[in-house]
Amino acid sequence: MNKNYDVIVVGSGVVGSSIAYHLSEGKRKEILTIDKNFPLSGTSGSTQAWVWVHNKTPAWYGELSMYSAELYPFLERKIGDVEYKRTGGIAPFFSESDREKALKLAEKQAEAGIKVEVLSRDEVLEKEPALSPNIVGATYSKIDGNVNPFRLIELYVKAARKNGVQFSFYNPVTDIAKENGMFKVTTQDGEYFSNQLVLAGGPWSKSLGKFLGIDVPIKQVRGQIIVTEPLSPFLSHTIGGMRQADNGEVLIGYSKEEVDYDRRSTLDIIQDTARMAIDFVPALEKANVVRCFSGIRVMPEDGFPILGEIPGIENGYIAAMHSGITLSPLVGTLMTELLSEGETSIDLERYSLKRFNTIRSIG
Amino acid sequence: MNTDLLIVGGGPAGLNAAYKAASNGVKTTVIDKWFTLGGQLKQQTQFYNNLPHHFSKQRGFQLADHLVDRLKALDVWILENHTMIGAYQDGNVGVTDGSDTFPVNAEKIMITTGAMEEPEIFPGWTLPGVMTAGAAQILINRERVLPGERALILGSNDFALEVASQLHDCGIKVKGIVESGSELLCQNDELAVKMRDADIPVLLNSVIESATGKGEVEEVYVSTDGSKSLYDVDLICIAKGMTPILEPFEIMSCDFTYQAKLGGWLPRYDSTFKTTNPSVYIAGNAAGITSMGGILLTGEMAALSVLQALNATSSEKIEKEKQYLWDELYRIESTENRSVRDARLDVIKDLHYETGVQLPAYLDSVFGGLING
Amino acid sequence: MDKSTIVCRCEEINIDEIESAINMGAHTFNDIKRLTRCGMGPCQAKCCMNLVRQIISDKTEQPLSEIKPLRMRVPLGVTRMGALAGNQASSVASVFGESAEEGEPDHE
Repeated sequence: MNKNYDVIVVGSGVVGSSIAYHLSEGKRKEILTIDKNFPLSGTSGSTQAWVWVHNKTPAWYGELSMYSAELYPFLERKIGDVEYKRTGGIAPFFSESDREKALKLAEKQAEAGIKVEVLSRDEVLEKEPALSPNIVGATYSKIDGNVNPFRLIELYVKAARKNGVQFSFYNPVTDIAKENGMFKVTTQDGEYFSNQLVLAGGPWSKSLGKFLGIDVPIKQVRGQIIVTEPLSPFLSHTIGGMRQADNGEVLIGYSKEEVDYDRRSTLDIIQDTARMAIDFVPALEKANVVRCFSGIRVMPEDGFPILGEIPGIENGYIAAMHSGITLSPLVGTLMTELLSEGETSIDLERYSLKRFNTIRSIG
Repeated sequence: MNTDLLIVGGGPAGLNAAYKAASNGVKTTVIDKWFTLGGQLKQQTQFYNNLPHHFSKQRGFQLADHLVDRLKALDVWILENHTMIGAYQDGNVGVTDGSDTFPVNAEKIMITTGAMEEPEIFPGWTLPGVMTAGAAQILINRERVLPGERALILGSNDFALEVASQLHDCGIKVKGIVESGSELLCQNDELAVKMRDADIPVLLNSVIESATGKGEVEEVYVSTDGSKSLYDVDLICIAKGMTPILEPFEIMSCDFTYQAKLGGWLPRYDSTFKTTNPSVYIAGNAAGITSMGGILLTGEMAALSVLQALNATSSEKIEKEKQYLWDELYRIESTENRSVRDARLDVIKDLHYETGVQLPAYLDSVFGGLING
Repeated sequence: MDKSTIVCRCEEINIDEIESAINMGAHTFNDIKRLTRCGMGPCQAKCCMNLVRQIISDKTEQPLSEIKPLRMRVPLGVTRMGALAGNQASSVASVFGESAEEGEPDHE
């Protein structure tokens, strides 16, 4: 393996792999992606993998999600079948007082060009008859969908490899320094040098930032998910809370806990989730649960992606966000523009790490 | 629900532990996922003649009945058809009865879920007619169903030959014991003699090349030193050994270690049979694959440790009892499976070395030179 | 052995598929599982656990003692949703309610 690269990407989850792949499309850069484990071992492999737009607010964030969702069909043409399905998204509500909020959301999203409808109970049940008759209404948007995260990341990596990207797995980064204008990335397996560096460590971004003397203001949030046995197809939409995969399994979950990196499943949350499942879809009462899993997700302190140059560190970049599955096609595209041309087609100013004002000296 | 001691798994280790704990006044609950207690011992028809001195020699199913019956006089809460499926954030065990799932709050938890049989694969192994030796044994001894007419046994350990012998006694024609190694693994000479008397050939240096058939096993190719022979059988019993069941221990955040002689990965534990989770104890085959004597004794020792931890009875009395039990374990495992005895000691020493807790003096006297050697 | 021999019955994954995942760089059962679905079915790898560990050992030339078991998951044993939900009253979590305010639904 080489020692010198144009770009080193640290992290091979959905964000890092997408950036590496999109960077490699030009075939002009020598790229190395390093991961402390293996793709899918972290956040990207423990998600329901919705491509979810419709209640992302404010408008500028909704827009980012929408453009990314729009890129999926083309991405699939390039890297292969990632089982992307634009199913439409339904976010049910159970109380009449939520209808007003729903109408406001629809109004706001219209400004960003995201079409959100507010459905009555009957309209919801017509679209998705398996949902509970106790539902009062729902917001609905055609643009939402889901993807198979295992295929998505696998195919990002395969396509990147085909374009010459090198990958180093099970290789934790132990230090990052800048020497003579180059980044020196020290790993368990040796030292690597690059002109440009991208931190895409997901929930582990904080410790990567520390190597460069910067604080990455993110939290770790555990989400727990239940998976049923394969059931014959009966849910055709992505529901806020669950979806049915191609193989018939239903993935259910909507929990958030701040428990550091603890990835255990706890029955407290699992039982709550099972109750939610039955409340949403009464027929699930009889379904068998085969397994549960949990993932540690990134939550930037203000909820919005951290994307772009690392202030004060020339040629250093960061991409850390919640909703990496939804955003990965666009983030890969924008970061490629940034690293190659120095400017981006969508202004990343408001996503800059600068907004937190937490930069320390790089020493 | 609340209990002092929750025992997960009502096989011989769990039942013997429950007896010891409950007869010393500890509020004990036993859960088992099946409808009847006794575990795998329920379908063992063979005679156990190397049990601890305080048990009389008897057949497996009789021993199972004995272990269950003597709990009846005691205040033990038995929950059959109850499965441990997970844990709560606060460490309580989550148990389901098939219609509800609820937390069990126990001072101490003992996991005696035993072991499972190791599979072995070859082209055609998924055909009906291929099963583990244990499954064949359940069919003949419990369900009273013959699993086939003509059989091959894959593997040659004690259990393989035991099941071969039971199949033979039921009138099934056992056409061979297929062993990949160059010698029989079975340590029990009586069983080996029985194979000879029953005209059951032992095929050494042999592997099953493939099994084929329309909807079930019909023809099996066995390769011996590179030459192939065809067997017309409808049953293949796989007996490649057992491995401890790990899942409940993982849920309780116990650490694991690897010991090939004990069946592979298993929870780490110390001389009191306490795992790395201070609330969780272990016994039986879960603590390393051993003989019936070893299963009973480790259950009893783990129960004594729980008594000690709960201050339920005088420590001096317990230590004396433990010494006797260790002597018995040493005696039985020295005659039956010395490598298990030594590997178990390695597991125990390893954890004591790490925690800095001294091994009890009687272990020194029991194991002598092995401790420091 | 014939590479088309099934290893994971539940998901019908054969030796070849497992070896392909190893060739892609996956060296643990957990990582192989996410690429192939091996061990993800109803039995949750109870049957294939040590078969896959053996294949990893053979392909990567690591001793079996270095190859860890896969992560074992709740519930231990297939459990009906209704039994999991239990007899307690339900607490409806409306994804809509939360996300409409925060602009941040989970699990994407």
